[in-house]
Amino acid sequence: MAARKRRIASFIAISLMTMVMAACSSNNGGTKDNAGEPGNAAGSNKAANSANAAGEANKEPEPEQAKPVEITWWNFPTYQPVDGEVGKYEKQLIEAFNAKYPDVKVNLEMITFDGGPQKLNVAIATNSAPDVIYDAPGRIIDWAKKDLLAPLDDMVTGEVRGDIADAFWKQSMVGGKTYMYPINTAPFMMAVNKTVFEKIGALDLLPLDRPDRTWTFDEYKKALQAVKDKAPDVIPSGFYAKSQAGDQGTRAYLANLGVSRFLNEDNSAVAINSDNAAAALDWLAQASKEKIVVNGAASLAAGDVNDLFLQGKLAFSINYSAVLRAQNAPLKKAEFEDVLLPFPTLDGSKPKLEPYLGGMAIFNNDDEAKVAASKKLIDFIANDPEWGKKSLIQTGGLSVRNSITGLYDDPEYAYSELARQFITDPPTIADGYAEIRTFWFPELQRAILGQASGKEALDGFAAKANDAIAKAKASAAK
Amino acid sequence: MAGAVLRRKRYIWREWLTSYLFLLPALAFFLLFVAFPMLKGIYISFFDYTLRDFDFVGLDNFNVLLHDDVFAKSMWNTMLIVLVAVPAVVLFSIFAAMTIYKKSEMQRSFFRGVFYLPAVSSVVSITVVWASIYHPNYGILNYITSLFGAEPIGWLGDTRTALLAIILVLITTSVGQPIILYVASLGNIPTSYIEAAQIDRASAGQIFRKIIWPMLMPTNLYIIVITTINTFQVFAIIQLLTSGGPMYATSTVMYGVYEQAFMLGSFGLASAMGVVLAVVIGIISVIQFKYLGSDVEY
Repeated sequence: MAARKRRIASFIAISLMTMVMAACSSNNGGTKDNAGEPGNAAGSNKAANSANAAGEANKEPEPEQAKPVEITWWNFPTYQPVDGEVGKYEKQLIEAFNAKYPDVKVNLEMITFDGGPQKLNVAIATNSAPDVIYDAPGRIIDWAKKDLLAPLDDMVTGEVRGDIADAFWKQSMVGGKTYMYPINTAPFMMAVNKTVFEKIGALDLLPLDRPDRTWTFDEYKKALQAVKDKAPDVIPSGFYAKSQAGDQGTRAYLANLGVSRFLNEDNSAVAINSDNAAAALDWLAQASKEKIVVNGAASLAAGDVNDLFLQGKLAFSINYSAVLRAQNAPLKKAEFEDVLLPFPTLDGSKPKLEPYLGGMAIFNNDDEAKVAASKKLIDFIANDPEWGKKSLIQTGGLSVRNSITGLYDDPEYAYSELARQFITDPPTIADGYAEIRTFWFPELQRAILGQASGKEALDGFAAKANDAIAKAKASAAK
Repeated sequence: MAGAVLRRKRYIWREWLTSYLFLLPALAFFLLFVAFPMLKGIYISFFDYTLRDFDFVGLDNFNVLLHDDVFAKSMWNTMLIVLVAVPAVVLFSIFAAMTIYKKSEMQRSFFRGVFYLPAVSSVVSITVVWASIYHPNYGILNYITSLFGAEPIGWLGDTRTALLAIILVLITTSVGQPIILYVASLGNIPTSYIEAAQIDRASAGQIFRKIIWPMLMPTNLYIIVITTINTFQVFAIIQLLTSGGPMYATSTVMYGVYEQAFMLGSFGLASAMGVVLAVVIGIISVIQFKYLGSDVEY
């Protein structure tokens, strides 16, 4: 009896162990599939030529090439939600794409702006990167420098090449090769709660009667003071230094107030540690104490300040664009009119606006068929006669193409089109950019908290950032 | 005789095999999801492992950490959090448990539920609530202090208050389990010991010091070790509330691991940080076992 019991017990134990091993092995199998191991369905199409596929992107697929290919597209919430559902537009887009290319199966995975970058880093490090990504140059160019992406030159026609400004190509290329297919853009600017100024009778303090809306630091200070004096429940201006998110707003704000570049022309060294920019940072620290700029900026993130603006509690937001304005419209918690403004400059010179630039890239997962299929998807999203324009509008952005304008019937979009003349090259494509930006906000915090002067903080940033640039350049040269 | 020995040996063998087969599923999980990643982490710490490279660099990553001011600051912050939070959690839990365990069953259940709620709630939800409490412009904490004429403080944005603010959140989310365990342990202490002491006119303090505290030692050990380990690994609260700022005032080793690995893609350096942290936790755990270990059984 006892022996029988032991046999039953042994049987149960072995069964349990087998189940565990089976579960674990199926997990491992899943990972390998994601890693794009050769030998799977996609791998068997290795002979397909990506260049040909790209060149034929607009043609109907030929029967002999119609072997099924499965690609994965990871997308940030680039498109505005349809019916409140994030990713619904992407599904419609894929459905339309599949009507044209039934041989390409697109697996969509939506990622967030908060956790997405980390997820991408892990995926790349574990050889399970997606095939297609819609992102910005900051990350894409970094990946390109690390030889992780497939070049896209063969899918850029001469017409497209000539229709997009060099500033955008500069942010899409590495070593003369195109790694990002640029699609949508919008200059990053400030925004003002126009309703506040109407209520306090100070609309004349805003540069809205000027076609290009440019203005000076002094004019801006007067507008802030008017809000402080006449609308005590409203915080005059926002600022934030908690984390990296939205850091383009803080650096463009200071760079314009101080008439400085963030990095020098060839992105080889920090340029913002100028006397003027340092003076602007000193003003900011003082303005924070005087409640002209939001209190506690060192612990506020871009999103927190944006929330204050949408609640009608802030007169100026320093991180806005036509795209953000469109995305923010349903999130407003108060009735007010938000109007785009360029950053003021110390001497009234033309502002320098960093652009938001969105585009698509392909990870080189050692599978030509997947690369070719991915190019078809990108070409469809960017250039399809129907879905190209539709998708552009769904991003809320402007086209990077000079020939495509007037997409929206809205004065702020019209101004955004006009403000494209102020676009400058951003530092996001600099070597070591990912590390550079980790030094930015601690130094801003140091100045805001009064533990360093503006000059000391910016010099401290410059020393660390220049070191990071030098190290990144040396690493790239290896 | 030989047959009996053989049967005995077979019996022992079967017993041994059966017990290990039952153990195997858990062991397999442990080896796959704990031991293997741990060993792999140690292995990776000797490499320059980035999105592009995987080169052996020996002890270079540890050398970098040795000269990294931010890592030193993060380690100091981590130790400080442990030194303040762990005793606070233990003392508050004992105090709460002592207050609760004498109450009626219904009241005990109510208070256990109240204190355990943060332990089963999402850290993200709790952090969002605390972020609104600490908000520099519209936070309830500044509203309360303003009633006494104080100027608003950026609790999370001031180097003098940020770490304390984090520790307070950490304590509120850490006391749930210890209180439950202490209430259970207090209930297991034979009342005859306490009654005998009371007959001998021992004071409440003497009863606590001479009877209750020694009898709680096994529970103390468990709670102190687990709370210490969890506190060393505090991450989510910091990532959500301060991102390690201002000026690295709330940066911890675990936050540094996250930053290096997932934001900068330096997996080798991040693994080296993890190894250093594991060694520190290991040493402290050994010390805790040595000095807090007790043979008390009841």
